[in-house]
Amino acid sequence: MRIADYIEQACGNLWKKKLRTFLTTSGVVIGIGALVCMFAFGQGVQRNVTEQFNKLDLFNYINVYARGGDRRREHSHDPDEEGGPPVGGTVADANAPRLDSRFLEEVQKIEGVEAAFPELRFPAQIRLGDKEQFALVQVLSAAICRPMPLRAGRCYEVNEPKGLIISESLLRRLSVNEPSEAIGRPIETATLTLDFSLATLWRMVTSRGDQALPIARESHRFVITGVAERMPFGGMGDAYIQPEAAAGMRKLSLTSIWDFFQPASATTNYPSITVKVRSPKDVAPVKKELESRGFRTWALVEQLDEMRIGFLIMDMVLIAVGMIGVTVASLGIVNTMVMSILERYREIGIMKAVGATDGDVQRIFLFESGAIGLLGGVFGLVLGWAVSAIINEVVNALMSRQAAPRMEYFSFPWWLCLGAIAFSILVSLAAGIFPTRRAARVDPVVALRHD
Amino acid sequence: MSDDGFIETTDLTKVYKFGAVEVVALHGVTLSISRGHLVGVTGASGSGKSTLMNLLGGLDTPSSGSIRVAGRLISDLSKRELALYRRNMVGMIFQSFNLVNAYTALENVALPLLFAGVAKKERQRRAAELLHAVGLEAREGHRPTELSGGEQQRVAIARALVNQPQILLADEPTGNLDSKTSRQIVETLADLNRNRGLTVVMISHEQDLLREFAHVMIRLQDGAVADRKVLRQNP
Repeated sequence: MRIADYIEQACGNLWKKKLRTFLTTSGVVIGIGALVCMFAFGQGVQRNVTEQFNKLDLFNYINVYARGGDRRREHSHDPDEEGGPPVGGTVADANAPRLDSRFLEEVQKIEGVEAAFPELRFPAQIRLGDKEQFALVQVLSAAICRPMPLRAGRCYEVNEPKGLIISESLLRRLSVNEPSEAIGRPIETATLTLDFSLATLWRMVTSRGDQALPIARESHRFVITGVAERMPFGGMGDAYIQPEAAAGMRKLSLTSIWDFFQPASATTNYPSITVKVRSPKDVAPVKKELESRGFRTWALVEQLDEMRIGFLIMDMVLIAVGMIGVTVASLGIVNTMVMSILERYREIGIMKAVGATDGDVQRIFLFESGAIGLLGGVFGLVLGWAVSAIINEVVNALMSRQAAPRMEYFSFPWWLCLGAIAFSILVSLAAGIFPTRRAARVDPVVALRHD
Repeated sequence: MSDDGFIETTDLTKVYKFGAVEVVALHGVTLSISRGHLVGVTGASGSGKSTLMNLLGGLDTPSSGSIRVAGRLISDLSKRELALYRRNMVGMIFQSFNLVNAYTALENVALPLLFAGVAKKERQRRAAELLHAVGLEAREGHRPTELSGGEQQRVAIARALVNQPQILLADEPTGNLDSKTSRQIVETLADLNRNRGLTVVMISHEQDLLREFAHVMIRLQDGAVADRKVLRQNP
């Protein structure tokens, strides 16, 4: 038999049983649609994370920590690292290399380093007009800030120590819905510090409960230069200011619990510093250089393999869930094919009597189940895409209320589209193997007697 | 009669097993059929006529003994080789016509060509030609359920001829037809035997009708050849 004849036979036979074909194919459509949706979501997450990292140059960053008394021991990849509890930062080891402003200058002289800035965040009360909100302020140099996507305005320049970038979500919390309206507006940032001065303690004693904590408040005025679309570095900050501006502010560093117990003047050493290199290939030599100087380092680019395994596990879980539908659909195909073969038992006998081989008969039915798979695959892909688009729109609509930027949560690479159709056909063919073998084994003598 | 043994069976036996019960359908049948003869096979119900026909047509395989057609040992062929034998050497006609109801008359006639890998246009051309030959050119697009018994059997004859076989096996082709139509069908088969030189083996209860055309009459009884009469010499 010719391939064209197999196809014509399959289509003709399926068309004769339209309702059954429709119902069986619908099962495949739903199964493949669910699988495609799940897989596309996994791919979307993977793509968004990778793109986000690439967009923000996160693969170009190295985090540097002081060796002694490091507070982020969990990131250590140094097998020589000694255990033990953290001991009050640099104060505990006077000889340990320090992460201070001098280090910031020196590190920028290393070949491949583009910039370095302290990883510093602190809480502050932000006031815009008559609205006030609690927020996290992150220190970010102008050089690092530049590639950041902005909703409105621009990044502050080095000579703008009073420039501030605000996140869109904080802006909304401050009742400004149009980002461009915020540009150029003055904004007040009030920092909180622990103040154990006698005056404060005296106030605590004499205020009769009005001031229960030894906290001092210090106001600084900034001007909004830009509104950030999305927050880099895990979105930890609500606002960004320059290191020079932060240096002159009394504040609590959220990266260190020990800072609560030290006067502001004692926290001149940074808990960690982020070094930006020119390209990901500079990461390894710069890391080596920093480690040789006695620092510990951590770079995201080195976590790529672990990330890939993580994504793979996520994909597997999503596929496993999606496969439930496909399994049910394939049972539907088996049922349909068994029914079809029973109905056409005599016809199979006739075909064999006029010269059809077992292979001819098997292939006629395999093409039918393959055709169900093809239809199911194509329409399942369409269904998966449509459902994904709807979910995407709903989630984006919900997220936009929180000023989150629009994102495509599902990804449909070409290989997923082709793979879904191919997989659907393969599953259908596999489901058709058992019934079609039965068809091929039909005894023509018995079948011709069959009524 | 040129008794060249175009079809030869030797000690042909067929035993069907139904669980522990064995039913002997054919027992030690040895016969020879010459090329171009029309052979009538008669016998009571259950005498093994249809079993013999199925074995000669390659639809079934013997329990023991051999079948040789045109010098080729049919009884030893694989399933695939038997299918090719049915496709290329044999045309079969059945009492119940065995047409596919979902297909038109034209599609039914063209069915064997489908498995022979003939292109669609050629299939349709040859099927139409044969339907014309059996006088059913006006019924091409009709389904079997829209045709009379005689017309259905003529469609079945056209289908049996479409692959230009050398042997035509007819298993009670007149069994479901009235006497007038039965005669027409037997005459058609006799014409094919006479004009195309086809070797025809026909089972029928209508012995008188068969005797008018058959070269040889074989009577089966209890799965064995009870009687063999040569009625005419030349094909």
